[in-house]
Amino acid sequence: MLAYITAVAIVFCIYALLTLSLNLHFGFTGLINFGHVGFFAIGAYAAALCSLNGMPYVVGFTAAAALAALAAWPLGLLALRLREDYLAIVTLAFSEIVRVVITAEEWLTNGVQGLPGIPRPFASLGIGGNAELAYLALVVTAVVLAILLIRHLVRSPFGRLIQAIRDDEVAVKALGKNPAGVKVRVFMIGAAIAGIAGALYAHYMNYIVPDQFLPLVTFYVWMAMILGGAGSISGSLVGAGVLIGILEGSRVVRDLLPNVMQVEMASLRLALVGLLLVLFVLYRPNGLMVKRDES
Amino acid sequence: MRFNRREIMLTGAASLAAAMAPVGFARAAEPYRIGALNPITGAGSPYGSGTQKTILFAAQEVNDAGGAAGRMFEVFAEDTQTAPEAGVLAAKKLIEVNKVDAIFGTWSSGVTLAIMPLTDAANVILMTNSGAASISTLDTKDLVYRYSTTGIRSGRAISGVIEKEGLTRVATMAFNNASGRDLVAGVKSGWEEKGHSLVAEVVYEPNRPGYRSELQQILAAKPEIIMLGSYLPDTTIIVREARQMGSDVRFIGPGYAIAPKLSESLGAEAVEGLMAVDYVSSLDSSAYAHFSKRYQDEMGSDVGENFYASCAYDMVQCTALAIEAAGPGADNTKIAANLRKVSNPGGKVVSGFAEGKKLLAAGEEINYEGASGPLDFDEHGDVKPLFKLSKLRSGALEYQYMLSL
Repeated sequence: MLAYITAVAIVFCIYALLTLSLNLHFGFTGLINFGHVGFFAIGAYAAALCSLNGMPYVVGFTAAAALAALAAWPLGLLALRLREDYLAIVTLAFSEIVRVVITAEEWLTNGVQGLPGIPRPFASLGIGGNAELAYLALVVTAVVLAILLIRHLVRSPFGRLIQAIRDDEVAVKALGKNPAGVKVRVFMIGAAIAGIAGALYAHYMNYIVPDQFLPLVTFYVWMAMILGGAGSISGSLVGAGVLIGILEGSRVVRDLLPNVMQVEMASLRLALVGLLLVLFVLYRPNGLMVKRDES
Repeated sequence: MRFNRREIMLTGAASLAAAMAPVGFARAAEPYRIGALNPITGAGSPYGSGTQKTILFAAQEVNDAGGAAGRMFEVFAEDTQTAPEAGVLAAKKLIEVNKVDAIFGTWSSGVTLAIMPLTDAANVILMTNSGAASISTLDTKDLVYRYSTTGIRSGRAISGVIEKEGLTRVATMAFNNASGRDLVAGVKSGWEEKGHSLVAEVVYEPNRPGYRSELQQILAAKPEIIMLGSYLPDTTIIVREARQMGSDVRFIGPGYAIAPKLSESLGAEAVEGLMAVDYVSSLDSSAYAHFSKRYQDEMGSDVGENFYASCAYDMVQCTALAIEAAGPGADNTKIAANLRKVSNPGGKVVSGFAEGKKLLAAGEEINYEGASGPLDFDEHGDVKPLFKLSKLRSGALEYQYMLSL
């Protein structure tokens, strides 16, 4: 049981990292990023390729963050010129381009066959038990660091500036501030966090394939952010928790309910997700962790 | 009827206790726990629920026959969502929480490759229908068994058909994913072994509205037949565009791509003579007769093209026989070692667990011939499944002949 809970907690932390970084983009700065999975994929492949080629984990994680941030740089430049839905479409296309490039560049990524046998840190602690807990400690550390970083950012003058951009970009310009450089930096920082999430994911799953990086992941993360509350750090954690709770909780609940088939539970799970979203839009449109008057 | 709070609590607690209690065999032998890890949702959903229900009723049959070596089968069902991540979490839960001894019926290669490190570490037997060739080589403990075959071997079978049909100018067109690529790689290697070479090879990216440029490239090489490693939606587009371009080239492909639905969307004339190569259950076997009747009773629908459900039935039967043959108290390594013994040639042919159990008790060697095929495992734990060739005639698939691998 412990090992299963550990596994769920690790996946929760990975989604929490994604949600936190998306929140930095959208919740705090107002950049509609529909391509978050693209940064996640770049991080996963960068870390996987580094460690499969015998480089130390530190190099892999650094490369994951650096490459994801680098990929975000041109997107950040685009974000200067595109607002709202236009940026959404461009970022969505970006994540699909990343996936298609990974699929096509077989010499590097093994294409559609994927990369099996990605080593995992702490493998020397044996399989299961301790190694899993050590990995959990690693991902929790990553989440804590990301929270501290984002909290520091949003409470600094930089943070007030990005929130002002979100609320009224024209006013920011009128006050003599230049939103351009700020947006690019926000994009790159958020992407780097998503890249780290990708690296943690690749090392944990041991096997990655382009099919794991479909836009669906982006929308799961959006869902977590909306449930928890855009522009709220604690909301990111709660949202990711609710998301994983629904996706995984349905397994455990099913074991307790007699006479419910897995086939029925699968449909029930999707219905539950839909119902929850509808209820949220009706009663908590700003998410769980955002006070009504703040919006 | 009205309940007060206390009554509701009591009823709730009682039903929880009932649900959580083991199914209630007060016997010494531990139950043999099976995880039915199937694609209930996602791309594999046409097969998943039938496969899962089959595992449930097949396990019930084993229990009705008194269990295997005194051990009752207990099934825990899960959904892979045809996605590696969900599959890994489901497998973790099965292994850690439900303490399963075996996992049956994974379908997509992505899921199987992702959960193999887990089953391997926990000494769990994994029985699958995935096609990736690397599954065989990554299985170091000989605990992974495949009831269908690799895409490469299927492709080689297809190259045999093309030769048999007397065609010489062959081109391939593959959907860019693992199964499409493996299939055409198999055709290529089989075809080149026969001393021919392909006139054109194209790999295309999926989900496009048209494939005209790829087709032009292929048709320029004047093939007599195009081998498709694709799915139904893209096959529909490719065949339509080929006909629009005035070509009467023939097509051959897997059964999930060349299906009667094609003639619904394109007209029977445009698809006349298209060839489909597909897995086929062992239709004449008595195991299949029994299985298909049970399937009909349980599911309320015909087993039809769900080859994977017949594999799932055999997974339960083979495992039960191997447990019986290994005797009480055997661990998974010993059980797996007996799998080949009970299903490979060299013994008396049996078609079900109850029958095999009696013969084993009498000290005889047995050979289980399953609903999905003869099930003779090679050194990798792979079988040679049966294939059939069908042709589209006036909008319906018409059976032609069986193929050998």
